[in-house]
Amino acid sequence: MRTRFHLIHLVTGVLIAVFLSIHMVRSHLDDILGTDDPTSWESMMSRATDGMWVALYIALLAVALYHALYGLRGIILELTPSARAARVTTWCLIAIGIAAFGWGTYVPIHLLSG
Amino acid sequence: MSQREHKENYLGARGWVWAGRYQMERHLYVLHRVTGLGLLLFGIIHLIITTFFRMGDKDTWESAISVTHNPVLKVGAYLVVVAFVFHALNGLRLILQEFGFGLGRPTPPIYPYTDALRRKRRLAIILIAIIGILAVVFLYDFAAGGG
Amino acid sequence: MAERDTKQVTFRIQRYNPEQGGAPRLEEFVVPTSRGMTVLDGLIYVKEDLDSTLAFRASCRMGICGSCGMLINSYPHLACHTQIEEFHSDVLTVKPLPNMPVIKDLVVDLTPLFDHHRSIMPYIVRPDEQEMENPTAEFGQTPQELNDFLQFTYCMKCGICVAACPTSASDKLFLGPEALAQCYRYCADSRDSGQRERLRLVDTDHGAWHCHLAGACSESCPKGLDPALAIQLLKRQLASQALGFRKKQLPSPVVSPPTESKTRIPYPEFSVKAKK
Repeated sequence: MRTRFHLIHLVTGVLIAVFLSIHMVRSHLDDILGTDDPTSWESMMSRATDGMWVALYIALLAVALYHALYGLRGIILELTPSARAARVTTWCLIAIGIAAFGWGTYVPIHLLSG
Repeated sequence: MSQREHKENYLGARGWVWAGRYQMERHLYVLHRVTGLGLLLFGIIHLIITTFFRMGDKDTWESAISVTHNPVLKVGAYLVVVAFVFHALNGLRLILQEFGFGLGRPTPPIYPYTDALRRKRRLAIILIAIIGILAVVFLYDFAAGGG
Repeated sequence: MAERDTKQVTFRIQRYNPEQGGAPRLEEFVVPTSRGMTVLDGLIYVKEDLDSTLAFRASCRMGICGSCGMLINSYPHLACHTQIEEFHSDVLTVKPLPNMPVIKDLVVDLTPLFDHHRSIMPYIVRPDEQEMENPTAEFGQTPQELNDFLQFTYCMKCGICVAACPTSASDKLFLGPEALAQCYRYCADSRDSGQRERLRLVDTDHGAWHCHLAGACSESCPKGLDPALAIQLLKRQLASQALGFRKKQLPSPVVSPPTESKTRIPYPEFSVKAKK
């Protein structure tokens, strides 16, 4: 039962390593690669209107939320909570994950369409 | 006879960080947990900043970005990059080794005892070297004035 | 004995008496030590000559029984397997093993360890119950099959791995390195068929996936057992079972004893012959 969730945790970990590497190289190696300043408004808007970048950000958000919140759940479970507290933790983290994904998806799609 | 009270002696969450006199992997475990929690915290802040300020116009965005150009936050951003590089590469090592790859087979315990992780210590040392090289590459870019 | 160089070493021993209660405190004893003396020898000296109320567990004093596990200078080890000389220090701190309740002084309650050990079915499970209860012959196993798990059979349940494990430090329900390694030991046994059920027992919120490969258990294990390796191989079994890679393996068959006995080879003549 736990094995399935943990395998997803590992797969999302690998996906984050790929997606976030693209993001990190674009955001932090601009001097070495000679690209424009990624924090400027023009650079940001050019990515916000590019479907590929928006898709990458949404995919990254989804896998990162699963990986992070599942990892956090594991850490909280290692503090020996009661069965009730463990259940409450799980549902709270699922709610946080869905809310963060909803908001993080709504904003770029809203900007892309309008 | 009544049951006497035993003294609880669990290290608790202190036992995660307190690494004792153990060797490398025990410290990598601590770093993996610390960087994981740090990246989660940063991710939440990052998500909030990039969504709320992007909803506004150019001036709101640029005034928010100018705040992140102060030196303290730049060092913070660099630490986030290093934390990510460490967490990603150490995570790949963990994925391989948790499935028993790169650990070898059980061997008869003949004195002086050794263990699979100690026999494959070179893997972890190469890993740390790669992390170090990547950290220097990113440090060069940060020092060059990027963001 | 008296001619050898002796060195005064201060033992700082953690004392806790349940009848008096209160917080555990460190008490100092000066022990004259000589070359080759173990920490256990020092503790025996303290009990015999300085303070007879000191409580510690020890039996074989040669690293076989696993009774004298304790935290020596912040490292869990067998007291009988640690020489005082190897610390190159005049002060030695001895505390009970962490992550287990303390009964008195250096004696810890190993009941949680044994409970976790019992919970993972640490015995051979066979489909043929009749043969299991009233065996007619032995279950076959080749030396190669034995080598797959032989290393993990040397466990003496001293609790040192549990004291070293960072997950056991906070998670009282975590099965611990000892139980998980023994789970693999029985799952890897070619005579066993209880693997499916056993893997279900460790696939819980406090089971195998809460091992994060810190490696402290393998490093401190006084028997060179390598519990960390066993747990990773157990995880591999869990994953391949979940993904459906696992081939269905039947337990090894019952091997009847050989019917015809070989002829005895006569003993060679070893007796000393008188010189001619």
